[in-house]
Amino acid sequence: MFEFNESEVDGLHCVVCNSEAEKKNTLDQVLRGVLEEQIVSICSATTPFLLLGDVLDCLPLDQLLKSSPSWRRMFPRGNLCNSFYSAGKNYLLRMCNDLLRRLSKSQNTVFCGRIQLFLARLFPLSEKSGLNLQSQFNLDNITVFNKNEQESTLGQQSSEVKEDGMEVEEGEMGDEDAPAPCSIPIDYNLYRKFWTLQDYFRNPVQCYDKFSWMTFVKFSDETLAVFKSYKLDDTQASKRKLEEMRTAGGEHVYFAKFLTSEKLMDLQLSDSNFRRHILLQYLILFQYLRGQVKFKSSNCVLNDDQTAWMEDTTKLVYQLLRETPPDGDKFAGMVEHILNTEENWNSWKNEGCPSFVKERPAETKPTRPSSRKRAAPEDFLGKGPERKILMGNEELTRLWNLNPDNMEACKSDSREFMPSLEDFFEEAIEQADPANMVEDEYKVVRNSNYGWRALRLLSRRSPHFFQPTNQQFKSLDEYLENMVIKLAKELPKDLPSEEIKTGEEEDENGVSLLKTGSDSLQAGLQNKPVTNSQMDEIAGKLGDGWRLLADQMEMKASEVREIESDSEDVDLQAKMLLVAWQDREGNQATMESLITALNAAGFTAIADSLSEA
Amino acid sequence: MGPVELLHMSVFSQSFSPCGRFLAAGNNYGEIAIFSLSAALSPDATDLSQKPILTFTAHEGPVFTLLSTDTHLLSAGNGEISAWSWVELTKRSTKAVWTRRPNYKSSLEIPEINAMIINPKDNSLIVGGGDNNIHIMDMETGTFKSVLQGHTDYIHCLALKEREGEILSGGEDGAVRIWDSRTRQAVHCIEVFKYEECARPQFGKWISCLATDSDWMLCGGGPSLSLWHLRSMSPTSVFPLAGCQREAVFHQDVIFAVGEGPHVSHCLLGGSVKAQIPCTSPSLNTLALNLSSTEHRVMTAAGSSDKIDVFTNFSYRAFSLSF
Repeated sequence: MFEFNESEVDGLHCVVCNSEAEKKNTLDQVLRGVLEEQIVSICSATTPFLLLGDVLDCLPLDQLLKSSPSWRRMFPRGNLCNSFYSAGKNYLLRMCNDLLRRLSKSQNTVFCGRIQLFLARLFPLSEKSGLNLQSQFNLDNITVFNKNEQESTLGQQSSEVKEDGMEVEEGEMGDEDAPAPCSIPIDYNLYRKFWTLQDYFRNPVQCYDKFSWMTFVKFSDETLAVFKSYKLDDTQASKRKLEEMRTAGGEHVYFAKFLTSEKLMDLQLSDSNFRRHILLQYLILFQYLRGQVKFKSSNCVLNDDQTAWMEDTTKLVYQLLRETPPDGDKFAGMVEHILNTEENWNSWKNEGCPSFVKERPAETKPTRPSSRKRAAPEDFLGKGPERKILMGNEELTRLWNLNPDNMEACKSDSREFMPSLEDFFEEAIEQADPANMVEDEYKVVRNSNYGWRALRLLSRRSPHFFQPTNQQFKSLDEYLENMVIKLAKELPKDLPSEEIKTGEEEDENGVSLLKTGSDSLQAGLQNKPVTNSQMDEIAGKLGDGWRLLADQMEMKASEVREIESDSEDVDLQAKMLLVAWQDREGNQATMESLITALNAAGFTAIADSLSEA
Repeated sequence: MGPVELLHMSVFSQSFSPCGRFLAAGNNYGEIAIFSLSAALSPDATDLSQKPILTFTAHEGPVFTLLSTDTHLLSAGNGEISAWSWVELTKRSTKAVWTRRPNYKSSLEIPEINAMIINPKDNSLIVGGGDNNIHIMDMETGTFKSVLQGHTDYIHCLALKEREGEILSGGEDGAVRIWDSRTRQAVHCIEVFKYEECARPQFGKWISCLATDSDWMLCGGGPSLSLWHLRSMSPTSVFPLAGCQREAVFHQDVIFAVGEGPHVSHCLLGGSVKAQIPCTSPSLNTLALNLSSTEHRVMTAAGSSDKIDVFTNFSYRAFSLSF
């Protein structure tokens, strides 16, 4: 967290209170130090912008306008250093756009303009959001004029005057008090045609349509003929006006739109500035119609007649510009130059606004002198030549540099902690096997902890989890049992099961059985392990000769002595031998091997009787 | 009026009504057409409003000059003067109030009347024409009081200096004579063609336009249009206009002149031509300014076509009325 210093706290506090001078002062102070380098050490780079945004949102408009010099001081060079730029550019953009929305373009034009200028300097030229890439036009800029005769203001005014002046004699009508009923005859034709032209300037794409083009040509010809015949007076009118303007010292008034009252038509025609506006509009329009703009649709093409007319008219317009005082020639020259530069910008836009900043060629950086008093910042940030992040301590450094990039470390395989389905559910599958006869309450699926983990694993690994089913499960363990059974059927049975094992053994024995040529049908029986009762039988038949069988069974002498010492009953000893043999052999203690052993020991009769059974 | 007649029509004279809402124009067929200016200048003007509301034949020959008094329209052509009441004319009634003829010496040939002016001081009508004389008629009684003789060739134009009561006349003989209206004597005679700066021998010596403004006089024709200071009787500025000017008027600081060439020339008092506003007719005979009305303050020019150009803003042609 950052800390405000005292003055900033005061500043914020005083923004809320009422004293004007105080407010201005503290606002100045607050804003002054905000965008300096030291901020980086105090707080994150985005904090000053958040602060600025909030301050701007709280201030009412008149405060804003008064405090605008402070803003200027805040951005002395009009641009931000690199560390602030990337952090703050979006905040600043949003802030400025909000401000612009609040301000009125016609009343606070200067302030709006300053904000726009600031935005223009903040972002690089090639910033696409600030460019009119698609060459769109401000179609809302409609010039309103009296198209309908009934709405003519002249008619209204004269009727007003009539009402007022009912009592007044004719001679007095139109005197100082009442506004004079129009004293100038108006050329309505010209008025209407002239202002209709503005519609073509507003939306140049109309010119590609044949009928609109014809109207445009007709009206333009008339208007330009009027301009041509009505030469403007250089010395008298304009100079006087200029001097008046300078001496009056009045503010430069800005009109966003043309004033289209009929009464002004005469005055407008005799004004050189107005004429220049209109002629310039023509030139800009022609440049657009002629130019190659990437976003123009393909049917926006001029035919030869139109191009010829445009060329003639362009020459006429330039000539008129040169004749328009004051300094007509200079003005015309400047206009031509500016329009030529526009062509460059147009082609730049067509290419997709490549950046003007040249990429620095990859130079070989001069090798840094090896002796440095302090470790260079790049070193301990992991960008130095050794690329190690120094943690200040040997051990920590070693640990950290095992894998300095945390994200990469997390991706490594050794951190894969999620078990596979087989591993996790092995126990559950085993328990689910009814042969094992595990009781419900001991089943691991009942464990809620296990159940939760099981669900998570299923959702990650098993498609069964997502298959819709009509079964209603009353509880989690039932559901899990169900799932476990499904899984068990699917999983590859690498769990060793005796059946598989005997299957393998069967193959071996099958070979030997084929060799002896004896009954292979009975082999199935012989695969079973020797049961107790069978062992009792054999023991009874063995009797004393169990020692011979022991030799054959490769019983150790110690075991034989043990058996002898255990009991005196020969049957019992034989039984014990067989048991020991079974213990030793485990799964291999089948009837088959017993028979083999008996045969080898010479007890063929017993072996035969066993085989027959 | 077929298309051929329209093609060969020339308008020789114009006059605005006293109220300023109507324009009367006379052409070479002897017709007078009355146009409604208020209709033509209104916002909902159509093509029809640019046609005359009334056309009638006033004289047998061309109507060379028209003049409006407070109530009447006076027209003169081939030797006789007719008077029409404006009120009646607006009501489409074409009965002349009176028709008079000055006393011509010879009765064989009837000279045309080229120019008429009114002297408001003694309510007399001054008429000049083809018999080289200026006749003065009393408006009330209708009698021709006196004759001013002196010109050796027919009179083109007349002008009046109201303050001094002097009549200026310019004629084919190239002389501008200044007459005192009371004594009926010629006071001065200026032969313009004798001054080198003005003279244009290739065109001739005739003076076809005269205008005066207190001490200043404009005259032109064969010689270049020039501005004269009457007290010193010398030309102060000569205007470099190409053709022969047939009518010139003073208006505020500018001089409007029409003549040969399809344009109205705006000239400054210093002698420079400020502008030449193009018109429809190939050459212009007459120029009129409707100064009596503020609403319909227009300038009209007409000449060798059937169109009368109307200028609402004096610097460009707004529309044309046609016969």
